[in-house]
Amino acid sequence: MKHIKKGKITLTIVIGIACIALTTVMFMQFKMVNQTDIDELEVMREEELRTELAEWKNKYEEAENQYNSQLAKLEEYNQKEESETETAELVQKELDEVNLLLGKTDVEGEGIIITLKENSEAESGIITSDNLNMIVNNLKEAGAEAISINEQRIVNMSDIVTVNDVIIRVNQQRILTPYIIKAIGNQSYLESAMSGNGSEVDKLQKLGHDIKIEKDNKVQIPKYDKDLKSDYIE
Amino acid sequence: MVIVAIIVGCLIGAFIGINAPTISYTYSSYLAIAIIAALDSVFGGIASVINKKFDIKIFISGFFGNAILAILLTILGQKLNVDIYLAAIVVFVWRMFMNLGTIRRYYVEKWTNKIKSLKSNKDNKQAEK
Repeated sequence: MKHIKKGKITLTIVIGIACIALTTVMFMQFKMVNQTDIDELEVMREEELRTELAEWKNKYEEAENQYNSQLAKLEEYNQKEESETETAELVQKELDEVNLLLGKTDVEGEGIIITLKENSEAESGIITSDNLNMIVNNLKEAGAEAISINEQRIVNMSDIVTVNDVIIRVNQQRILTPYIIKAIGNQSYLESAMSGNGSEVDKLQKLGHDIKIEKDNKVQIPKYDKDLKSDYIE
Repeated sequence: MVIVAIIVGCLIGAFIGINAPTISYTYSSYLAIAIIAALDSVFGGIASVINKKFDIKIFISGFFGNAILAILLTILGQKLNVDIYLAAIVVFVWRMFMNLGTIRRYYVEKWTNKIKSLKSNKDNKQAEK
């Protein structure tokens, strides 16, 4: 009787302990399953992580490819732009040169300044446009790169004319004595061309006009301030 | 007395389980397989009580032994990259259904017998009258 009772007590205790163990583990599991977010990275199984990783890798590669192609495009555009700027610079440079040669810009350089003061009591009277023309031609022959008379730039279409035997016009502008002719070029060539025996300046000097020839290292010649038109050239 | 022990044990277990710290998800598969093994042992125990072959030593050793073995098998399966826990679950659940079948048949028979005896008692009484 006592033995049976003892056996029953141990049975009860053992079954109780088993129940405790079972329910404890079960509830721990329930709690854990409830609490865990299945999409969280930490709780994912290895295979899930692997597939996820592969997916992301693919996405990454795709994105990288796209990025590379965009980068290449960008590079292309940059190169194009660079070449375009180069061309633009080249064109600008050419334009500047052409303007310089055409007399569309103010220039400065070594040269000479000739001052012609008319002497009304001289033998042959006044200085005419022919005299000025001759001087300009002489200067050109001596290698002048830029010439001006009384701040009127002489370009290839410049006119030096006498109107009514009194008025001298250069570039359609009336000019008055004293005539100051500036020229940029080799100083010694220009000077010798001017002051040489038999030259126009020499002749005028001999006629009694007051003429001065100066060398200057910084002769400033203004630009041709009219439009270079081409209405009839086709 | 045994039923009281079961109820008290379940309550204490639930209390401990709710208040226990949350375990890592990594071990959840081991824990799940252990629970399945333990439940299988419980149903096996009930079936053996019905069959009057119940032995506390066999029950306890089965209860803990199966759980531990299932966990070890699961770990081995993970090491070998084979899902052994699937086989364990199949076996345990199959055995659970077998045991449940035994229990059900026992109780169904018991109740039919009871109803039959009740009916025959009534018939006898009526016959006596």
